Amino acid sequence: MRIRFLRTEGFRLSALFAGIFAVSVVILGIFVLVITNQALRDQIVAFSFTDIAAIRNGYDFEGEHEAREIVQQFMAGPANSGLYLLQRDGKALAGNLPPMATRTGTVEFSFSVKGRTREVLGRGDFIAPGLYVFSGSDMARLRSVQAHILNIMLVLFAAAILIAVAGGALVSWGFLRRTDAMAKACRAIMQGDLTLRIPVRGAHDELDRLAEAINEMLSRISTLMENLSQVGNDIAHDLRTPVTHLRHRLERARSEGKTAQDYREALDAAIAKADEILGLFTALLRIAQIEGGERRAAFASLELGELLAQMRDLFEPVAEEAGDQLQLAALDKAVIRGDRQLLMQLFSNLIENAVVHTPSGTRIWLSLSRVGGHAVARVSDDGPGVPREEHDRLFRRLYRREASRSQPGYGLGLSLVAAIAELHGAAIRLVDGSRPGLTVEVSFPLAADTEKP
Amino acid sequence: MPFPNFRFAAPVKILLIEDDKETSAHIVYALHGEGHEVTVCHDGLEGLNAARAGGQAALIVDRMLPGMDGLSLVRQLRAEGNRTPVLFLTTMSGLNDRVEGLKGGGDDYLVKPFAFPELLARVDVIARRGSQDSEPVRLRAADLEMDLIRRTVHRGGKPIELQAQEFRLLEYLLRNMGRVVTRAMLLENVWELHFDPRTNIVETHMSRLRGKVDRGHAAELIHTVRGAGYTLRAD
Repeated sequence: MRIRFLRTEGFRLSALFAGIFAVSVVILGIFVLVITNQALRDQIVAFSFTDIAAIRNGYDFEGEHEAREIVQQFMAGPANSGLYLLQRDGKALAGNLPPMATRTGTVEFSFSVKGRTREVLGRGDFIAPGLYVFSGSDMARLRSVQAHILNIMLVLFAAAILIAVAGGALVSWGFLRRTDAMAKACRAIMQGDLTLRIPVRGAHDELDRLAEAINEMLSRISTLMENLSQVGNDIAHDLRTPVTHLRHRLERARSEGKTAQDYREALDAAIAKADEILGLFTALLRIAQIEGGERRAAFASLELGELLAQMRDLFEPVAEEAGDQLQLAALDKAVIRGDRQLLMQLFSNLIENAVVHTPSGTRIWLSLSRVGGHAVARVSDDGPGVPREEHDRLFRRLYRREASRSQPGYGLGLSLVAAIAELHGAAIRLVDGSRPGLTVEVSFPLAADTEKP
Repeated sequence: MPFPNFRFAAPVKILLIEDDKETSAHIVYALHGEGHEVTVCHDGLEGLNAARAGGQAALIVDRMLPGMDGLSLVRQLRAEGNRTPVLFLTTMSGLNDRVEGLKGGGDDYLVKPFAFPELLARVDVIARRGSQDSEPVRLRAADLEMDLIRRTVHRGGKPIELQAQEFRLLEYLLRNMGRVVTRAMLLENVWELHFDPRTNIVETHMSRLRGKVDRGHAAELIHTVRGAGYTLRAD
């Protein structure tokens, strides 16, 4: 459709402005015509007045002869194309007009010469009893000036419309070209190529900003989709193992089981396996729910230091049993907004990681400090630590370090921690200290009312 | 009896309101195994009428029901002055559901899927709650005495020093004396943890508590119930 640009916003806008401009040209034109008309008439009348004064002057000093002389001079003058008449008792004495009615003052009349009607404007007066003089101009001059002005206005008007239409078309065409490119890119992306991006011209205009926003959205979507398909694959893969084991166990029990005791043991093992599989599902669902953001509704103000002290009391016997030490380092007071249950789970996971994935004799510290507008909680240990290149992978769903594959778990602990931190707007990072070990730092924004005493 | 290690209290009448036929069949089987008498309704309105008729020691109510949802059903019962203890059953779908369910008049909350001992232990605990009269000042088991006002514990007249969480743990066991309490029940009621930690928090705390309460005494009060949890019993 060739005239599609007529329906663009750009074209509509230029058409609107062209219309406004055209109307203003018309108004201006009328105004100019009225003004010039008046000015030209005034000028003609003023000239006539001066001419009559000169003729009267000539007559007063030198008589009728001189008056006729002056009229002849005026008519011969190069710059003066005026119309004159000197008339006594209905008979023309001089001038280029036929005898006429002796009206005084400003006079406007028309007469026909050789079939052509001429309009005349001027002044008539008696310079002596019975001696009438008229000086005026042919209105054709005024008309031609007006026609000239009208022509200029028309040209301006046409040019404005033309420029507006052309400009509008050009703008719309450029706009359409870019929106078409965007639409085309969107369709291509819809057809499955999530790596494509909307072209950005680099002008930082509204279309570029829109394109950038769409591109950011696409990046986020593609990250989420990659995650999703990765997680889907991982779950399918990770579930195959325990389900296969479960099946093997049941098969073995059927073929080898002899006593009721054999069967009971096989069933106990099968139940344990089933629990493990259910646990994996529960953990995945929990992460999905937290990522869904539903729990933000249950946020309340809470003091993080108190919560950490509680976590220390809770896990101290567990750490001791593992031969580790769980200690509280400096605890500032810091009020944040959050979900107590989820925060307890976050710190449980971090503390349990430190207990489970380190050798016996490890020392673990919990600390909380206020830095700027943040409450920075740290769970540190002096265990063997984690190589830097593995840090990012640790938060990936179902990722398990080689060293910990023999331990029970699903590889979901830190994914859950990351999801809970994200829900609380908290930044989480692993810190490489100068001393050995691992520090997990979670930085929560302080609650708004914390500054008050 | 499917769980021979259990020693639950006397059998009671229970009303189960659960629309899923397979789930309700399993639950009925487990409850029958303990000698409980179970009536099943598969519809909310039907369940409401059965509950109104009364006579049950406990209700087990699924949150999602045809006819009338579980939460509305319990709210309705409570509005009518029915105080029968309620155990809600739910799927994982809503994390805030628990708070909502307890506010709506539920006494306990169990997320599906659950192990049967978990269900049995919880039913046992809430079924007795209805018969408790007033808030006690002292809790006793054999020669163990807990003073809830002074917050002291004595065994055989000798004081036992307990940390705050050990005190809460022992208090919960004493309040449910003779009943089996599961790990999850202890995590929820003593530490307010509504998730399953990977480490053996309950076991280590329990082991410390037993060291203080039972060590040096001929009769053990705290017992492990294999495959289910713990119980405090004065034989």
